[in-house]
Amino acid sequence: MYRYDDFDRTFVAERARQFRGQVARRLEGGLTEEQFKPLRLQNGLYLQLHAYMLRVAIPYGVLSARQLSQLAMIARTWDRSFGHFTTRQNIQFNWTKLEDAPAIIDALADVEMHAIQTSGNCIRNVTADPYAGVAADEIEDPRVWAEVLRQWSSIHPEFTFLPRKFKVAITGAAEDRAAILFHDIGLKIVKGPEGETGFRVYVGGGQGRTPYVGLEIATFLPRDRLLSYLEAIMRVYNLHGRRDNIYKARIKILVNALGLDEFRRQVEAEWATLDRPSIDLPAEEFTRIAAYFKPALLKAASAKDADLDARRHSDTAFDRWVRNNVVTHRQPGYKIVNISLKEPGKIPGDASADQMDAVADLARRFGHDEIRVTYQQNLVLPTVASRDLAAVYDGLVAAGLATANTELITDIIACPGLDYCNLANARAIPIAQEIARKFADPVVVQSIGPLRLNISGCINACGHHHAGNIGILGVDKKGTEHYQITLGGSPKDDAAIGDIVGPSFTAEHVPGAIETIVATYFELRRDSAETFLVAYRRLGKAPFRDALYGTGAKPAATAALENADV
Amino acid sequence: MPNVVTANNLRSGAVVYLGSAGRWVDHLIEAAIASDAPALKALETEALRAVESTEVTAVYAMDVAVIAGRPEPTSVRERIRAAHAPTV
Repeated sequence: MYRYDDFDRTFVAERARQFRGQVARRLEGGLTEEQFKPLRLQNGLYLQLHAYMLRVAIPYGVLSARQLSQLAMIARTWDRSFGHFTTRQNIQFNWTKLEDAPAIIDALADVEMHAIQTSGNCIRNVTADPYAGVAADEIEDPRVWAEVLRQWSSIHPEFTFLPRKFKVAITGAAEDRAAILFHDIGLKIVKGPEGETGFRVYVGGGQGRTPYVGLEIATFLPRDRLLSYLEAIMRVYNLHGRRDNIYKARIKILVNALGLDEFRRQVEAEWATLDRPSIDLPAEEFTRIAAYFKPALLKAASAKDADLDARRHSDTAFDRWVRNNVVTHRQPGYKIVNISLKEPGKIPGDASADQMDAVADLARRFGHDEIRVTYQQNLVLPTVASRDLAAVYDGLVAAGLATANTELITDIIACPGLDYCNLANARAIPIAQEIARKFADPVVVQSIGPLRLNISGCINACGHHHAGNIGILGVDKKGTEHYQITLGGSPKDDAAIGDIVGPSFTAEHVPGAIETIVATYFELRRDSAETFLVAYRRLGKAPFRDALYGTGAKPAATAALENADV
Repeated sequence: MPNVVTANNLRSGAVVYLGSAGRWVDHLIEAAIASDAPALKALETEALRAVESTEVTAVYAMDVAVIAGRPEPTSVRERIRAAHAPTV
């Protein structure tokens, strides 16, 4: 993975020193809250319901074991011994104190981490395929370009005060595991006509109040032109983005107001004016950065392992975990291991300090010292030898991290919601917990098959409800929490925004409504190979709506029903 | 509707309420209740002083229901804040 050079180290240390001074001045009264707020936000420090929340950047979701152990230490020393992994592959500490923040930032800098640009109207932490570098379907490792973009966008003077926040995601694989079509800019590494690699560029995707699936602005951008092209996009957005209206300030609104063709024309006109050689990445700089991401030299190992097969045969729970959480690695004899942070009844995305240490330890012993964070709020050990799977599983069982539900209905994305967040209208976590408890039987969950269920506590959609096969949005209706259900969303290559199925439900009726939706799918699916999403696309929302609300003109007299649409 | 004044402690971020004699308290039950506009104005003036002296931040007045003489939150959000803990 990337290691800081002297420039990076000095830059991060200097920022930490500046922040320490800013906090001291705030505490002494030299800065008002109005003056201080933008400074703390530029360093990832929010004031939430109960405490300050520090959002730490995990560049493209990649952590070393040492870094994860340091996060565990921070959780123990300055928080309540846990952290919350987010849908942007970051981690948040929910219970920090302002007076401790400088020490936490110093502790992060000790392991080449920081919280810069995890808030504010700037280019945020670039996210990437969590299987980058190890996926069997990968054309090129996107981490190299993600690191290039990190360096390009970090305190870029022109893009520090954008109309609104800006999110970039990148994948180098055939399958989109980074939800690139729901980002301001989505990048997919593709092969050109001569077999060379370049980028397919999507723009204007996003969730929130006005969700859009990203549009393809460039089919094949030569790789050595990436930075100048992105700079042209950013310039058009920076100039014309709606600074007058926070709800219309994201690039998706501009792209859709201008139309893709006009937006592209403006970008290309701007691109033509740029001094490209001074912006684009020199080949030798790419080579320098790429060297940090050279694939680990893995000993040849047999794809078949008799001990593994025997354990799978004799241990049903282990077999289920292998089937659901273990994925093909590009090299035979090795596997990608998904670590679920979604044990039914627990808080999605939360990991205790002890669990973080346990994962770091497994990464050191069996995982080539590397951990990934996924936007589904889980962790990944990207490279584990097949012969070590049983040992890793046993370690995860001991740490309470062996839930076998990757990509299944209980692998729920949920934002912190009203339990922690100042923006939320409704709670998300208890809804997730109740649904997960309803579906606690792993055999039932297995039989339902792949199903993304996502919950957001407000329209800002941090819980990706628009992109869930089943999405749940918390809303406030006259002081009561209600939940709107959407069906048919997808975050993948077939990206789609879910359809609102009908009137909203009160909290206690949401788990039952989800059961009804799943039962309807079970009844109507062609066979077990037809996933929920495929079935929904074939059937439309009518049978689900009828099952939830009744088929007559007057909705069924279920207590679940609220009469007014939200 | 009666009001109390709430804020976050500047150093810790913890939820606090303005009690009697300008003292900031952790528990809503100890908050000073303003039953009319002049009383609320007095509390807000007091709170502003605490903002200037860097004791608290994010000050606002919130509605409460007074039950048996005790202030009770009227929204889910304020119930969660008053508990100093998530509901999960």
